[in-house]
Amino acid sequence: MRVRLNPAFLFLIPALTLILVFYVVPLILSVYIGFTPLQRWNLNRMGSITAYNFERLFYMMFHDPDFGKVIRTTIVFTAFTLAINVLGGLGLGLALYLMDEVLSLPYRILWLLPRMTPVAVYSLLWYYFFLGGEEGTLNSILLRLGVINEPLSWGTDPRLLPETAWVILILVNGFVGVSFGMIVFYSAFHSIPREQVVAARVDGATTSQIVRHVLIPQVRWHIVYVTVWQLLSLLTTFAHIFLLVEWGAVHRWWGSTWALYVFNVAFKTYEQGLAAAAATVLVIIGAILGLVALRILKFKEMMVEPKGEI
Amino acid sequence: MQDSRSRASVKSLLKREIGKIRGRLKPPAYRGVWDVETIDRRRLNLLLALVLGLAGLPVFMLYVLLVMSSFANTMLSGPDIFSARYSIENWRMLFEGRLSPAAGQQYTTRDIIMIIVNTLVVALGVTAVVLVVSVMAGYAISRMRFRGRTRLMELMILLHAFPGVALIIAVYAIYVWTLGFIPTENTFAYKSYMMVYTVFARAALEIPMSIWLMKGFFDKIPWEVEWSALVDGASRFKVWREIIIPLVKPGISALAIFAFLAGWEDLIYVHVFLYPEIKTLATFIEEVVGSIETTYLPVVAAAGTLYLLPTILFFVLTQQLLLQALSGGVKA
Amino acid sequence: MVSQRNLLIIGIIVIIIVAGVAIIALRGKETTTPTTTQPSTPSTPAPQTTTSPTPTETKTPEKPKLTGNLEQDLINIARYLSAKGIKEAKFTVWSAGDPNSVLRTYAIVEAAYRLNKILEKNGIDFKIVIVNPQFKRGGGDELASDFIKAFQSKTNPDIMANSFKHIAPFVEEGYLLDITDYVKAYKNTELKDYYESLMTAVTYKGRIYGLPQDTEARPLYWRTDVAACIKEKTGVDVLAGLAEKVEKGEVTWKDVYKYAKMAVENGCSEWGVLHRKGSAHPDLIQFIFAFGGMLEDPNTGKLVLDVPAVYKWLYVEWKMARDKLIPADMMSWDWAKQIHPSVVSGKTLVWIGGTWHWTEWQSKDYYKDPKTGEVRKLTAEEVKKFFYYTLFPAGEPGQKPVTLSQPFVWLIASNAGKDNPNYDELKDIYHMLVFLLVVKANDPDLVAIHSIISAHLPIREKAAELIADKAWVDKLAKLEIELSDEVKAKIAEIVEATVNPINVEFLADASKLLKYTHLTPMHPRYPQLADILRDAVDSVLRGERTPEEAVQYVISKIKADPELAKVVEIKGEVPSSWQFP
Repeated sequence: MRVRLNPAFLFLIPALTLILVFYVVPLILSVYIGFTPLQRWNLNRMGSITAYNFERLFYMMFHDPDFGKVIRTTIVFTAFTLAINVLGGLGLGLALYLMDEVLSLPYRILWLLPRMTPVAVYSLLWYYFFLGGEEGTLNSILLRLGVINEPLSWGTDPRLLPETAWVILILVNGFVGVSFGMIVFYSAFHSIPREQVVAARVDGATTSQIVRHVLIPQVRWHIVYVTVWQLLSLLTTFAHIFLLVEWGAVHRWWGSTWALYVFNVAFKTYEQGLAAAAATVLVIIGAILGLVALRILKFKEMMVEPKGEI
Repeated sequence: MQDSRSRASVKSLLKREIGKIRGRLKPPAYRGVWDVETIDRRRLNLLLALVLGLAGLPVFMLYVLLVMSSFANTMLSGPDIFSARYSIENWRMLFEGRLSPAAGQQYTTRDIIMIIVNTLVVALGVTAVVLVVSVMAGYAISRMRFRGRTRLMELMILLHAFPGVALIIAVYAIYVWTLGFIPTENTFAYKSYMMVYTVFARAALEIPMSIWLMKGFFDKIPWEVEWSALVDGASRFKVWREIIIPLVKPGISALAIFAFLAGWEDLIYVHVFLYPEIKTLATFIEEVVGSIETTYLPVVAAAGTLYLLPTILFFVLTQQLLLQALSGGVKA
Repeated sequence: MVSQRNLLIIGIIVIIIVAGVAIIALRGKETTTPTTTQPSTPSTPAPQTTTSPTPTETKTPEKPKLTGNLEQDLINIARYLSAKGIKEAKFTVWSAGDPNSVLRTYAIVEAAYRLNKILEKNGIDFKIVIVNPQFKRGGGDELASDFIKAFQSKTNPDIMANSFKHIAPFVEEGYLLDITDYVKAYKNTELKDYYESLMTAVTYKGRIYGLPQDTEARPLYWRTDVAACIKEKTGVDVLAGLAEKVEKGEVTWKDVYKYAKMAVENGCSEWGVLHRKGSAHPDLIQFIFAFGGMLEDPNTGKLVLDVPAVYKWLYVEWKMARDKLIPADMMSWDWAKQIHPSVVSGKTLVWIGGTWHWTEWQSKDYYKDPKTGEVRKLTAEEVKKFFYYTLFPAGEPGQKPVTLSQPFVWLIASNAGKDNPNYDELKDIYHMLVFLLVVKANDPDLVAIHSIISAHLPIREKAAELIADKAWVDKLAKLEIELSDEVKAKIAEIVEATVNPINVEFLADASKLLKYTHLTPMHPRYPQLADILRDAVDSVLRGERTPEEAVQYVISKIKADPELAKVVEIKGEVPSSWQFP
């Protein structure tokens, strides 16, 4: 008798290899680097193992007068943007699914544009949109309409902070994030066997009933996925915030999330040891939140066992 | 072991079954999801279009300004759309690779075509790797039994908690280390290795997400389809390739967009691994916008618009794939 | 169906590309590994095998040393290498800047050309080759981080022109070559007329790690039309002998405040003072020096937070913003839409700018012509007509005026010459050769040309003399100068567009500011401190904090990072009795 290799393994080899080489090994290395005084990419001088990076990081967090703002911003930003990304994405995907294709395609392109645009250009557009002077797009419109009588610095005016800075962050990121959900849900709705919809329709169900009882339950897996994925993205990335802060479109601290804070502390000064330590802390927090989210969303129940093999 | 006659009858039965399923999946023509009209289509369309249009208005405005700026002599932001001068000068400058003017209208020139080719190679390379790898793995996780299946899925999404920017420290260390084995004298091999490494490293970042996505799509395929084929005596691999893949085209189309965009827009990986020999549109635009204090922004607007065109094209293509899966049904 | 075929085609192309690249990469690796074990590779063919049998070894010259005579040193080195069978030395150079600063890279190419000419003249069979010179658009910071990364895989350039501030961190990591001894040999010859203040920019912990390449200065620009308006309305002639008064310390920031107030109150301009956005470094740092403060302790090498000076600086900004002389949101204004247009159309009396703005205003459409309503560039004549400039005035009576420079410097990598044969044995020789290249790249005419076409200030007196020499400038304008064809072609267009008598005169005149120049600290943690100061300025301008609170904020931010706290000395107390204006 030959020992039979589980065929699943064959299908998984490429993925596992890539994950091993580009995720697991770097992950371990990264944690290791977090315990070294590596500086300025000088890989030839790694130095000896120390926990100093972690000590310093925590010391900074507890003593930095701006850290409280960063934490509050992160919580508000993550919560609202996540809601927009998941619910907005779901709504958008649904609406586009229900629309005629002639209308739906241009709309999908429009809503996908922010994701397609180079981050720098996208940030530039919003930077000019919220620009403080009367040259800013928003200011010029509102001035024309008579809503305001002098131009406002939307993201930085102390009288408007922190809410306006938060709104800008959420808006700018929401428009990018929502398209992720849109594409996933739109495709997911389309992969639902059509006869189910048709059958419901024949039975006399209204549109909203079809949506609630036929369509939404079928994309539960995708909802879990989009939620957890976006949660982790929002906690760890900052590409679309970075330039807005750098260019002064939003207040430095009411516009910085935790990930950007870590980046600024650790990466700008070319201290990779510190950066890796910071990343490790980020990951631990992210992983815990991610696991909690998976429990809440009842991920295990969705991992139904394959229905046997022949 | 069954005797050949009963086996043949099971076969034919299942074949008929597959035929039915395929028939169901193959409607005459795709006209939206409403085969049975019970409500006023036009009203629903109008309502949805209005809501989405209003919500997307700011974005729409921004992009109109972007495209207009690419023809203007200044980056437009509002009332200046009436006072600006318009010409195709910016586009000419872009294709001649002339960017920010300095004193006396001087430029550093760049080979923009080469930059576009580089970007395409990276983006399509990432797409190819991601598609092949995740469609295989997604299938295995959705349809096959093995130990640690649930754990693997959990692990995979949690991997996303590790941001690329943090991971890159270590990925870069590995890169430097492996690059030592490539002879520097052979520039072509050297550059190819840089490119391939970048493509795989970048693709790897997309893998966990793609597998998750694909698993969801595989889950929806009725089991009968697969069983019947397996009973036909096809190998697992053959079934995957010939029967299952065509059924997950919507998923593949979604995946392809994300993978393509990931490669197309990547900044960090391309920058760290490929700079300065190989430049892509994204790193190029970043470089130009980076010196915002002195840069001439209308050319950036042109570059940004140019950058969008292939992505839109790619998107429309993948959407056709998606719709085809819906209207064309499954081919044998 | 058509689109499916398209997709298939795309898919196939992708796979072919990826597979092809992979195969070539792998094969490249296989085929070249054996060749490297053989003595000769195609790129460096004959010399080793052909020269070794010939009895050159018998007359191998002695290992050369630098004497200070460039020609002699070059000949010695070339003879030595040539005798070792090496007929060619390859070097690489990177630099960055605005497009007009191409000489930051091509001066090295020109230097190689000039050195080769000397060798040719002396009949020595040896050549210096500059491989793939890179000039990058943009700032030096990115270039520096690219250098660092490239250094790890030994693909870094041998020579890089970059801001002097990178010296400290680079030296700490061992990326730079210590050229103290070489500089000593040349101190009294080629390097004699370099500005002394700029040589301190390349000195770190008593050792020298580079040579200055170019520099700038930061004048205070005054609008002549706004000043004329003030004179008309109040009878006070602001500009009368102003440059001298500022230089003598008779006009200080208290007066600037007064004049700014006059301008705004009399409706002559919308604002009194405008300055850069987004960063306190480097323009606003001048305030610290102008109030007699310092940023670095020369004895300990530590950074300094000079509390009284910083407080006074923040107070000036706070007070001016409260009186609406500086916009409260100055730090987030846009360069292209707000700052430059406001400055060039006279919406402010004073602009805290830099020497490069003189040509910046001539190169982009910032000016709205009041007659035609057209948005256009300023002409050189208009810039001269609209703007008067002085040093950055002293903060208060008793202090001195200042300006600030951030020189670009030539840096030599510690592994310079790495791409050449027998590197381990001969690296000293290669290092000397690179040094000679850099010295040659700073020939007075090259420095002068670079200054003129890129609107930078020269780093040596001989170059400044050339810039002031009208006859020579005329020749440059006609390109009647000795340059290799390659470099001449590179700069021809730029010369044509930039050599303008008004601008050249400005440069020659602005070079005088360098006498008062200060440098920002070269400390690795200075950028961190500068970031904190930026936030403090921003918050006082907006009125979020009083100057006193802002100083406390700066202190608490410094203390929050143990590594920063370790290297920053906090000196002095808030002078609470201090009055402004």
